[in-house]
Amino acid sequence: MIKIENLQKNFGQNEVLSGITTEINKGEVVAIVGPSGSGKSTLLRCMNQLEELTSGTIWIDDQQLNDSKTNVMELRQKIGMVFQHFHLFPHKTVLENLIYAPMKVKGEGKEEAESKAHQLLDQVGLSMKADEYPKRLSGGQKQRVAIARALAMEPEYMLFDEPTSALDPEMVKEVLDVMKLLGTTGMTMVIVTHEMAFAREAADRVLFLDEGKLVEENSPSEFFNEPKTERAKAFLDKVL
Amino acid sequence: MNLDFTQFVPNIPYILQGILVTLKFVSVSAIVGFVLGTILALFKIGRVKILSWIADAYTSVFRGTPLILQLLLFYHATPQLTGYDISAFEAGVLSFGLNSAAYISEIIRAGIRAVDTGQNEAAAALGIPYRPMMKDIILPQAMKNILPALMNEFITLTKESAIVSVIGVFDIMRRSQIVAAEKFKYFEPLLIAGVIYYLLVMILTLAGKMVERRMSRSD
Repeated sequence: MIKIENLQKNFGQNEVLSGITTEINKGEVVAIVGPSGSGKSTLLRCMNQLEELTSGTIWIDDQQLNDSKTNVMELRQKIGMVFQHFHLFPHKTVLENLIYAPMKVKGEGKEEAESKAHQLLDQVGLSMKADEYPKRLSGGQKQRVAIARALAMEPEYMLFDEPTSALDPEMVKEVLDVMKLLGTTGMTMVIVTHEMAFAREAADRVLFLDEGKLVEENSPSEFFNEPKTERAKAFLDKVL
Repeated sequence: MNLDFTQFVPNIPYILQGILVTLKFVSVSAIVGFVLGTILALFKIGRVKILSWIADAYTSVFRGTPLILQLLLFYHATPQLTGYDISAFEAGVLSFGLNSAAYISEIIRAGIRAVDTGQNEAAAALGIPYRPMMKDIILPQAMKNILPALMNEFITLTKESAIVSVIGVFDIMRRSQIVAAEKFKYFEPLLIAGVIYYLLVMILTLAGKMVERRMSRSD
């Protein structure tokens, strides 16, 4: 469970997030939506401490993430992350991208890591690309590799930071399909997205952020059909 | 104009022996410069304020004073200050190595900075600690940005190494000057030295291109 309590995040004088309190339960798929600049990505990046909190607490299971005694590096192994711009290691082949962290960080043997990597590539439909370099892949393929790379660490949580925003329209679906499939396996997922159709269909819960505040928390069907707040209504009027 | 290269033919082997001296000098200096330069670059980008301050001050001093002054200081001041009778070769390697470390540290720092910060974040998100991240993820990518400038630095080093002739290292430059002084004819031996330096630099350039091509495999 990811438990966020009274989270505040400032960039200098600028208050980006304030008073965020929520819980993400095991096995849940949670979509974070909201206008640009509402702090969605920052909230997500706080969940594995790519951004340090200004105040408040985040608990990952029974460990407090923003505690100086917590080994963040170790905790991050539990939390996979997928970025808008993929960030594959360009000097490593697809297979090397997948096996590097499991071998280096978890001390897996090469054979074990490779067989798991091949299995994951199979799962995202890219087994034939194992020996390619990332440059040779399309955006959609890169993002699927990035998902597989995160999964190779066998995380308990997966964070997605606008995973389809940098993709050409025709590649969005292949990535969303992989994510949907992952959601059905019981993976806990937190997804910052602009894909409303996807949020409606695949999420168990929607968090709506505006101006750094958690304005509405709702089930997708209620959020998209009859949102509780005016601000969510105004937002949905614009994007749907 | 009376050019006569034939009278210098007997001296050519003597000048050529300088190649080994120059190469030994340049390669030791380059290694010192590269190792120290890498360490300084890591200091500069690191989070420890005092270390980055030291590295910046170091660079400032070594870039801000003439190389020949540094060379003469190491050569003459070392015996005076420490009593250690430093050899010309040692003083040369020390000053050239330390001097090029200053330049190389800037080259490497810029190369590391040019790597997308997303790479750091991706590594951090996977739980990869700082050292392996630097060694396996960041530096190999930085190397690609660094290599052309680094090659340039090594070429400069090769040419500038001629300065060590002033403290009496028997390199290509000094040998050609000795031959010239013997015969009171300067043009031909200096021209021979020039051709040798040029060929050395060409070989370095070619080697650099080959390495660059190897490194761009993933493009």
